[in-house]
Amino acid sequence: MSIMRINVGPIHPGTHGVLRLVVDVDGDTIKKVEPHIGFLHRGVEKLMETRMYMQNPSYTEKLDYIAPLSWDDLYVNTVEKALGVPVKEPAMYERVILLEFQRIASHLLWLGTFLNDIGQLFTVFMWCFRDRAKVLKLLEDVSGSRMFYVNLRIGGINKNLPEDFQQRAYVLCDYLENKLSEYLDVIEADNVFMERTRGIGTLSKKDAIAYGVSGPVLRASGVEEDVRKSHPYYIYDKIKFRVPVKTRGDSYDRYRVRYEEMIESIKIIRRAADTMPEGDATGMPIRLIGPNAKPDIVVMQEELPRGEGIIYMVPEKQRPYRISLRSPAFINLAVLPMISEGYKFADLFSIVGSLDVIFAEIDR
Amino acid sequence: MTETNEVVYTKEQFINAEKEMTLLTRESLKSYKKEYVPAMFAKFSDITKLAAKDIIRWGRANSLWPLQFGLACCAMELMDFGAARIDAERKGYLMFRGTPRQCDVMIVAGWVTKSIVPRVKRLYEQMSKPSYVIAYGECATSGGPWWESYNIVKGIDQVLPVDIYVAGCPPKPENLFKALMKLQDRIRGKYDRDTARSLSENLRSI
Repeated sequence: MSIMRINVGPIHPGTHGVLRLVVDVDGDTIKKVEPHIGFLHRGVEKLMETRMYMQNPSYTEKLDYIAPLSWDDLYVNTVEKALGVPVKEPAMYERVILLEFQRIASHLLWLGTFLNDIGQLFTVFMWCFRDRAKVLKLLEDVSGSRMFYVNLRIGGINKNLPEDFQQRAYVLCDYLENKLSEYLDVIEADNVFMERTRGIGTLSKKDAIAYGVSGPVLRASGVEEDVRKSHPYYIYDKIKFRVPVKTRGDSYDRYRVRYEEMIESIKIIRRAADTMPEGDATGMPIRLIGPNAKPDIVVMQEELPRGEGIIYMVPEKQRPYRISLRSPAFINLAVLPMISEGYKFADLFSIVGSLDVIFAEIDR
Repeated sequence: MTETNEVVYTKEQFINAEKEMTLLTRESLKSYKKEYVPAMFAKFSDITKLAAKDIIRWGRANSLWPLQFGLACCAMELMDFGAARIDAERKGYLMFRGTPRQCDVMIVAGWVTKSIVPRVKRLYEQMSKPSYVIAYGECATSGGPWWESYNIVKGIDQVLPVDIYVAGCPPKPENLFKALMKLQDRIRGKYDRDTARSLSENLRSI
């Protein structure tokens, strides 16, 4: 049969943003996939070099608009390292709790949209958004904003948590745990979902390491690697938690890893809230001229919801001289041509969805 | 809302036509049958035309179909708008559709780069007319935080005719709901609620 070339995107409901895919199909079988990116490029690294240190969080949070706090925290952590300012003990606990809530919110959004792609239209989507709204409400009450919380300051957070925060966090954890177990009855009892994810888009352990993928995509292929375990930051070394690992590396395993990560995040939140010390967690207020940075190059890594994010920064006194970002989603997208080869065209969106790509971060 | 060959009636003309018709139907229908019946039908059609305009407006305003089209951050709030919390269908904004040919409203959510502009333009051209554009968020309104970037179009209004601007970074889904209700009012030919209110308040203060 002759090979037909199909253009998907850049504006397409299945591509999770502005991804353009040029697909060569033979009948219904994918022969070659060519991703075209760059539709959201705005030169954010260059823009960040023109700003003072604490002006930049409003740029970093727009890198990953599903989990804005995670990039924000990575950037502020890098700046703290460059300035040599230690983080206050209560602020560490609070940041970990907020980051894990953000991870849950991110995975919930992913789960809803992924099931929409697969064909379980809107049931789980509605549930996920209902529960995500509860998480966002808590984060809004803490920071003052619904989506872009610029609440991290050097050495701490902009203001102390509300008094009933701990209690509300416990209640929300119980609620989420309860609801997450309900999802399984709908998701995994559905044959369509299982048929469209099991054995689709298999990524072997060897290839996963060779391509440098990270996060849930890597852990679904059988590699136990999590920055929270291997290079612990904040209080992750004091908290006991499990890193979910699967072995087959297909779409189903990637879904399952994210699902179990949400449950682990709930446990982390509970344990952090149990042992949270009392005290002032406020950081330095933003001033026109802050403390000067040391002239050493700083590299910082953190486990973001999509994988391992790294910031490489050459600091000047008041602003970064050069800043470079390692986007996990960009590297995870690179395996798409390899793992989608040989599957049916309809499976392509199961594979793209399971990689959990985000284009603000990829195009930068 | 561009309708060619549109006949505009004053209120008086409308009332006269109505009176004439009732007269015609009551008396002397038989004797003037040959002459007046065609004229009567002509007048009927004029009146139905006038009524049809309102009916079409009513239909358009109450079944706005937005295009499923997200560029960046604001698309997350757009998804929240489509979820259960703000049940938008009760006001007539039906499901987000994937194809532009079934859609009336384009919600530009996110920053518009130079490479995506031709695509957005083409989507707008493919939409069924009349179509409306909402610039949702700072980036679509003016370029927002990326004002200094070399690859950003500073506002979608440089490319498309925008009906409503929604401010915020990102605006809450509730704000989009309000914007769509304003758009409905505009389609119905009413004043904006806020404009009318501010006018009346000004008059009162005078």
